[in-house]
Amino acid sequence: MRARPVVAVASREVRTLLRNRALLAVAAVFAIVVVGLGGASMGSPGGYVSLTYDLLLPVELLVPVLAFAVAFQSIRGDDERGTLAILRTYSVSRLEYVFGVFVGRALPAFVVVVAALSAAGVVASLGAPEPSSFLATHSAGDTPLIYGRFVLFAGWYALATVAFVLAGSALARTDREALAAGVGVVVVVAFVADLALVALLTTGFVGDLIGVLVGLAPASAFRGLVLELAIRPAIATDPGVATAHPLVSVIGLAGWTVTALAVAAVAVWRPVER
Amino acid sequence: MVGRTLPLTAFAAVFVVAVVVLSATLVVPVGATDDVEPVPFEDTFTLGLTDETVRQTEARGFSIPRVEVYYSAYKYVVGFNSVGSYVAEQGRTGHEQRFGQPVAAFVSDYAGANASLTEDGYLTADGEVGFAPAEETVVVVDSRARLPSGPVAVPFSDRDAAAAFADAYGGEVVPWEAVTERVTARDPASASALRGAVENRSAWANQSVAATTDRERSTSIVVGEDAESLDAAVAAAPPNTTVELPPGTYRTDGLVVNKSLTIAGAGNATTIRGDGNGTVLTIAAPRTTLRDLRIDGVGDVGSRRSMLNTSEIEGLNWSKNVELAYGRGDAAVRLLDAERSLVEHVSVETPASGIVTLDSRGAVIRESAVAVSGGTQEGFMGLVAMYEPIVVERSRFAGGRDGIYTHRADGIVVRDNEFTDHRFGIHEMYTSDSLLRNNTARDSNAGIFLMTRPSGNLLVGNDVRDSRVGISTAGSRSYFASNVVADNGRGFNVYSSQSLYTHNTVVGNDVGLRAGDALATNLLTANDIVGNDQAATASIGPLRVWTVGDRGNYWGPVPGTDTDADGHYERAFRPTGSVDARVRTTPGAWTLARSPAVDLVRTVQETVPGLRATGVVDVAPRTTPARPETLETLREPGNTTEVAG
Repeated sequence: MRARPVVAVASREVRTLLRNRALLAVAAVFAIVVVGLGGASMGSPGGYVSLTYDLLLPVELLVPVLAFAVAFQSIRGDDERGTLAILRTYSVSRLEYVFGVFVGRALPAFVVVVAALSAAGVVASLGAPEPSSFLATHSAGDTPLIYGRFVLFAGWYALATVAFVLAGSALARTDREALAAGVGVVVVVAFVADLALVALLTTGFVGDLIGVLVGLAPASAFRGLVLELAIRPAIATDPGVATAHPLVSVIGLAGWTVTALAVAAVAVWRPVER
Repeated sequence: MVGRTLPLTAFAAVFVVAVVVLSATLVVPVGATDDVEPVPFEDTFTLGLTDETVRQTEARGFSIPRVEVYYSAYKYVVGFNSVGSYVAEQGRTGHEQRFGQPVAAFVSDYAGANASLTEDGYLTADGEVGFAPAEETVVVVDSRARLPSGPVAVPFSDRDAAAAFADAYGGEVVPWEAVTERVTARDPASASALRGAVENRSAWANQSVAATTDRERSTSIVVGEDAESLDAAVAAAPPNTTVELPPGTYRTDGLVVNKSLTIAGAGNATTIRGDGNGTVLTIAAPRTTLRDLRIDGVGDVGSRRSMLNTSEIEGLNWSKNVELAYGRGDAAVRLLDAERSLVEHVSVETPASGIVTLDSRGAVIRESAVAVSGGTQEGFMGLVAMYEPIVVERSRFAGGRDGIYTHRADGIVVRDNEFTDHRFGIHEMYTSDSLLRNNTARDSNAGIFLMTRPSGNLLVGNDVRDSRVGISTAGSRSYFASNVVADNGRGFNVYSSQSLYTHNTVVGNDVGLRAGDALATNLLTANDIVGNDQAATASIGPLRVWTVGDRGNYWGPVPGTDTDADGHYERAFRPTGSVDARVRTTPGAWTLARSPAVDLVRTVQETVPGLRATGVVDVAPRTTPARPETLETLREPGNTTEVAG
């Protein structure tokens, strides 16, 4: 894979994104929701642990939605407009093209997620009422470190979900399919993967493997990382067993990203017929 | 080309910086406690021992072993007076949910402090005792060391010092980790233990009443026939006889009864009248009975303290100071060392205090009336009880500062009385283990006001209305059950800690429950809080979870469902929240409260309450009232209380 074509494609994708006012609005709404849920709307912002708790579920659901908005039209759109056909005449490999699209779409998504969450963190820490000054206080585990880890994981999660949506977009043959695939990815990532796990557990197929499988469902991998590496050390509670296997979760998130990009690369265009 | 890739470069740069910075958070360990140090004890949120015990201990130069704990989910440092109170809190229902785990603990270190015991076993030490990390200490348990409140465990950072102490004063040296098993804590405020305490105090009161009212004494003197004056009759009467006062007015000037007599009038037609100076009648003998008469002509000095100069006050200890302020003023009747005495069917009018009792264990005041003139500032106390428990029942108190003021009257029983038009109906200072039952209070600044961090007080079935504050609580391990607070400025000031509130009816107040800034360790369950302008308010301090296990309180209909039909909504209710606080009053709030966004926010707000800024949440609100009949009576037409829904 060569850098030049990737940069060229990525650069074009970024400019496309920045031109799309609707996308900018989606990013703004995401930021508002995150900051709002992060305590500002309730008038009772708390510490970083509570902020992490408060934002975990919303982020888990909203990041796939943001990824959908950012990426569902990308490859399918190029196909629709005939750009894809033109690109194929240049010396751009399918891998270079897909990776370029991914970089161009995922980097802005990552930056939006991290920026919005950082804003929520700043708002919450500024808005927290001063503790009573004549009593001794301590931060316990309630440090910005916790929240920093959470934001980092949320960024990774954004990258993985963008890759997913890209795969959907590459597989789709029509606009309608692209839309359906995008929505489908959001639903699968947010709900179906975990529901399938629960079903497996219920039927008794997995048993002790649940810790590993949880790391393999993207949303659960993200959630597991946050619970195990951010919240658990802060609260210092000992629930007896680990909440998740962080290593499996990391491999899961990374693996899904690579797999999704590979699928997209395979599906982006059919081999040139001879 | 450069211009075309500029946006991408910018994003890439931000990405790289963010990843590097955020990844750094993975490297720095969280929850490291190396930098945590002990703080001055007065800067902690303090639990354990009453103010009375602490003051007594300090006044006599004894030493209290203390514990300071940093909890993972609580940003204030919590201080415990005595190791036992630390153990008690660790075992309390809901403790871990609120505080998380201890991440660092420090205990008073008696090594090198020349720890020794007085002859009575009280712990003393040289100078200020410092703190040492708890895990490095050993603790001497079951030794003869004690505080005024009971036995006490003594920690040492040095095993040899601990062993020397144990050699001298008995006991066993155990590591810090063993204190939860080896140090006995007072029972937690469990419902059954508290109900048992109520029965206990009631039985004691019944015995006291029976012992004083069963007294049969033959008449030795009828005033007006056998003696000229009341004073002469009391002087002449043999002990254990009755002095009779037929209808009429009997003047006296500071009469002191110092033998066990019965002084009996003919009801309201008999009046004992003072000369308007000082106390009218002092009973200074045990088992004296005063009944069926009126008393007036009391002096108008409420407090003698203001009459002393500074040097005279300086030499007094804290308790004598209080006695001087409240126990030495002019009164209609003063009981001094008058154990088991009885004041029955006596009606008092006074510009100062009505009845003052000191050191009169088991004395009974019953079916009497005290009217204090001069309003809540000029007049003084209806009844002052100091140092020993007495029984006050079925009496009426009106006007003056406090209907009943107590000072170190541990175990006092006040039941079935009426209070109107006071500063405080019942005002308890430095008084623990009291029982206040079935009293009604109206039109006062506060119906019942507890102060000074007492312990074990039992308030059951009281009814306070039309006052600025219904019941203001304080102290620990207390029981507030089946009380009614209606149409007050505030129903309850929830200022206590580690106490149980259950089956109270809180209706029609401006603010139903006001959470104070004490440690949020109270248990509230099965209370009915409806029709208040604001169901609850909270001052600064972590979120209070007012649910015990999975049983919450009744706040009226809540925008939620009870699908498992266990009588509790699955949805949490936040009476201090901007949306939930308005569901009963503001059109539209109900709809907003059911929005997924609000739900999303609310569901997570119950987690880590110790780290949340403020507020109150009930995670399992009741679907039906706990005391429907009481609530129904309060809602009846004609009652001024308007209850929505």
